[in-house]
Amino acid sequence: MERREVLKLLASAAVLPALTPDAFSMFRSIHAGLAEAPGLKALNSHQDATVTIIAELILPQTDTPGAKAAKVNEFIDLILAEWYDDATTARFLAGLADVDQRSEKLFGKQFVDCTNAQQLQLMKVLDDEAAVARKQQATAEAISRKPAIAPLNFFGMMKKLTLLGYYTSQVGFEVELHKSIIPSSHAGCVAITGVA
Amino acid sequence: MCRHYGGGVAMAANTYDAIVIGSGMSGGWAAKELTEKGMQTLVLEAGRSIVPEVDYVEHVPPWGVKFRGLRDRKAESINRPIQSQIGDEWNAKFFVDDKENPYTTDSDKPYLFLRGRHVGGRSVMWGRQTYRLSDLDFEANLKEGLGVDWPIRYKDIEPWYNYVEDFIGVSGQAEGLPHLPDSKFLPPMEMNCAELAVKEAIAGKFPDGRMMTIGRVAILTESHRGRAACHYCGPCQRGCITRSYFSSVNSTLPAAQETGKLTLRPFSVVHSLIFDSKTRKITGVRVIDGQTREAMEFHARIVFLCASTLESARILLNSTTPEFPNGLANSSGELGHNLMDHIFKGGATGTIPGHEDHIQMGNRPNGIYVPRFRNIKQKHPAFLRGYGFQGGGHREGWERGSDMPGFGVDFKNMLKNPGPWRFNFTGFGECLPNHDNHLEIDKNKVDAWGIPALKINCQWRPNELAIYKDMSVTAAEMLEAAGAKDIVASTAQSLPGEGIHEMGSARMGRDPKTSVLNEHNQAHDVKNLFVTDGSCMVSSACVNPSLTYMALTARACDYAVGKMKRGEL
Repeated sequence: MERREVLKLLASAAVLPALTPDAFSMFRSIHAGLAEAPGLKALNSHQDATVTIIAELILPQTDTPGAKAAKVNEFIDLILAEWYDDATTARFLAGLADVDQRSEKLFGKQFVDCTNAQQLQLMKVLDDEAAVARKQQATAEAISRKPAIAPLNFFGMMKKLTLLGYYTSQVGFEVELHKSIIPSSHAGCVAITGVA
Repeated sequence: MCRHYGGGVAMAANTYDAIVIGSGMSGGWAAKELTEKGMQTLVLEAGRSIVPEVDYVEHVPPWGVKFRGLRDRKAESINRPIQSQIGDEWNAKFFVDDKENPYTTDSDKPYLFLRGRHVGGRSVMWGRQTYRLSDLDFEANLKEGLGVDWPIRYKDIEPWYNYVEDFIGVSGQAEGLPHLPDSKFLPPMEMNCAELAVKEAIAGKFPDGRMMTIGRVAILTESHRGRAACHYCGPCQRGCITRSYFSSVNSTLPAAQETGKLTLRPFSVVHSLIFDSKTRKITGVRVIDGQTREAMEFHARIVFLCASTLESARILLNSTTPEFPNGLANSSGELGHNLMDHIFKGGATGTIPGHEDHIQMGNRPNGIYVPRFRNIKQKHPAFLRGYGFQGGGHREGWERGSDMPGFGVDFKNMLKNPGPWRFNFTGFGECLPNHDNHLEIDKNKVDAWGIPALKINCQWRPNELAIYKDMSVTAAEMLEAAGAKDIVASTAQSLPGEGIHEMGSARMGRDPKTSVLNEHNQAHDVKNLFVTDGSCMVSSACVNPSLTYMALTARACDYAVGKMKRGEL
């Protein structure tokens, strides 16, 4: 199988359950050839850049730091390399490639090269699709009682990992949520005014 | 504290007044009581030492663990497929390696044996919920003709509940319920806004007397006997450097150490007990060193077996002699039988509207409790005994965002604030004693130290299944009464063992023909053997059992040392 064919295959989430071990190992070797992002184990530099931008669009810098400052991309790389099973990681990376395919089709360039408005337009589509997929997955898992280790939809995975990576980082925990490991006080039921 | 070979001075090589097998909930109490009564005591612990300053991880932040709380999924699926179902990424090290510690079941009768092997045992990771049994429990078997009669009643154990509670410190609210006697309480923890609302909504609404109180918990709400009050960091199951919750490492073992009469030996895997057929007593314990695999013997006048319900039974079943071919102290044939565990998981969840301008401060390591209300005023048509609910209210956090549409600035600002109040009731129900729920030695399986492993045969039966059904209904009723929205009733069931309240494998009783232990936890067949962990339980009640193990241990130590001092043992 040619590299181009593999990438095409991976970009099409629909065929992923049929991804053969052969195709998968080829994907891995292609991927290994591209890996040049220093310190990262699963994402190459282009994938890392795309993940970093999407994460920051989900949880942007405001008066507090956003996902990029919290290095959510590094957490996502760790999960892809060491926590997800191979099929789930492949599904994530295929979804990431699909983002570029869509932006190429819509705007004639890769996602990272799009304008902020273009990126937001595509993100809205992805988020709407993820909402539908989430409901379908919940229904299916309620029947099978076998929950998957991650959302089946790419953007669902991306959002869940971004939130987890951000709010469990020191920045997210201390700066955004104002939490401390040892609370300054404890009480059962207090009015929020007066706490601030 | 609690280090290798600390303190005690042996009288002769490897000889002591008393040996305690196990250093957890029960073993720690045996160590404290026996040493304080002047006994040179050897505590044999199968696993490693716990050094609080090094091993406790309750203040490690989420970014301090590799997978931010998701656990090391891949490694655990290979080495710890069973223990990975309990604990978290921080405290996984407190649970055993499944490969070193195997057990077997029939494929259609799965059992979860969840446990640690280290100084302190499961008292390091326990849930800390602390409740007394009552005569409703002690009389149940006799009244219903099930199992055997408890050889004690509430009046026999009440002073020992007082004694233990006075030492460990139990916070809670006195309610004056005859079937859930009040403990000697430290000030109760506070309910949060949703809990106060549900409590008020339930009160007086149900003819069966349902009510809600704050969890009774072995956590200090004020400083107590040299231990500091809780600072509400939350995850007690990872340890507590201020020793604010009770564990043997935090409390009983240091007290035993202080007497100068304790020798604590970690890495001491007990193989079996040594029985002298002339005196019909135990002379000692066969041990395999956990690290060197060296076989050795230790001797004493009395032995307290506190290795846990399953391990204590396993040691006795592995201690066969010509007199006891089916396991030591097993002339009744009941050793290993009548295994029980609490059934749990059935219940309901819902959203409590309102109170959105209020929050709870700090991480209260405790929930609410709904005491048993079935088969108290009125007989239930479908089942015997009953169940209580644990659970509580909380405001949803950032996690809700994964299931919500949206992204960007507004999304982030929305998640900065807490979400709606959610509430859950989780039932914990009684399991009836049944002779067929039993342990045996699997002759084809040994652990990492060459000791034959257990085969566990246990399943839920019609009474347990009927209780499950009722749990989800009554939990939903209470949420409805509280005006909850989006109520989801759960009929989920725990696997046997999953409640981690296993008990009954060497039951007490009045008759040596039908029970293993007498009313003082003394083996009917072997007078210098005492078993005081969950093995001794005659029925399971529906409340968390650790307090009862502790009280029975202290009571048995008092009896044993009294007998020794009078030359009767």
